[in-house]
Amino acid sequence: MTEQEKAEAEKSWLETIRETLYGMAAHDMSRAALRTRASMEHLFILITMGDLLGVPILPPYYSLRLLPYVVPQIATWKRRMLREKDVADAMF
Amino acid sequence: MGFKDMFLQHPERRYIMFGGGGGVGKTTFSAAAAYWLASQGKKVLVFSVDPQASLTDIFKRDIFGKGPVQIMDNLWAQEIDADSHIRKYQQEIRQKILDMYGMPAVPEEIEHYIQAASAEPAMEESAMFDAVVDVVMKGDYDYYIYDLVPLGHALYYLSMAKVYDEWINKVTKLREEMREYEEMVSRLRREKESEQDQILQELLYIKNRINTSAGILTDKTKTAFFFVVIPEAGIISDTQKAARMFAQFNVPVAGYVVNRVIPHELLNQNIPEYLRRRIDMQDGHLKDIRAAFDDQVLALVPEMERDVTGLAMIEKLATIMFA
Repeated sequence: MTEQEKAEAEKSWLETIRETLYGMAAHDMSRAALRTRASMEHLFILITMGDLLGVPILPPYYSLRLLPYVVPQIATWKRRMLREKDVADAMF
Repeated sequence: MGFKDMFLQHPERRYIMFGGGGGVGKTTFSAAAAYWLASQGKKVLVFSVDPQASLTDIFKRDIFGKGPVQIMDNLWAQEIDADSHIRKYQQEIRQKILDMYGMPAVPEEIEHYIQAASAEPAMEESAMFDAVVDVVMKGDYDYYIYDLVPLGHALYYLSMAKVYDEWINKVTKLREEMREYEEMVSRLRREKESEQDQILQELLYIKNRINTSAGILTDKTKTAFFFVVIPEAGIISDTQKAARMFAQFNVPVAGYVVNRVIPHELLNQNIPEYLRRRIDMQDGHLKDIRAAFDDQVLALVPEMERDVTGLAMIEKLATIMFA
């Protein structure tokens, strides 16, 4: 192994570690960010669509305008709001 | 000062509102003011935001839900049909859901919510006030005369507008924070820009609508709000209370008109004791009205010999009101 090859091997090894570390950190960060984002999404639905759970907040006339945008999230949101505790709590 | 001087001195006041308790004559004076302004050559729209609208009765024309209907030269009248307005709106929401997700039908749960939301009493008020924004923005009239809902509703709407505004500011902020997280994830994953937040756009739209409708009600230069009172103890104290509350919400109260005053000339005739007592009682209440509202009383209008319906009676009333 020439000096150059040695240097390159070392470099790629370091590079891998650097990328792995970065990947791990970034992955965690993005996962955390996504989780925060999801919580906020649920909070948002609660304060706009609270009527669905019997919590009236926004004037219904205007909350209808927002309804189409949250249709896909409503099922998960309801589950999350109404559950007491489940396995997922221990996992995350 | 009377109504005539009030309108001549303030031509910039284009939004004219008559408010008062139920049955005091809001519609009557709205029609009379509209008639007078139209006969002065101004283009006028008088419209009702009351679900129990009675412009149809007063003009003896079926105008309910038909858009602006011309009554005479320069004068149009409109009664907003809240129910059909709400039904149309619900349909738009359903269609939007179907289009956005390519669903064959609106999910049952969502459909339930759409119907439950529309059954709430606040729905009708919000829908009415929202419809007014369209009426006022679209038209090219010199004057818009609001035949308002009873006082409580208007106050409710004004106070809600304030709450909604603050509320929407908070929600918008939350939405913006959510967006920051979204962008962070996009950056970390080296994805391209996340798409525009449509909900944020809707929130800004809603904020703008609420502010516009509440803004007109509280515009000091362009709006004049008149209270209709009748010489009865309960009505006077209710009006005083309402006037104080309106002042808190910065509604520009421009004056008072007293309706249903039994003519004093009757005292010279041979009238029953019952009527004399009524006149006596009214004199006392009129004194109270003067004490309470002072020089803001713009007109005293007598109890008419028959219902004010049809243009001839409206003209008669307008002549007295704008004397």
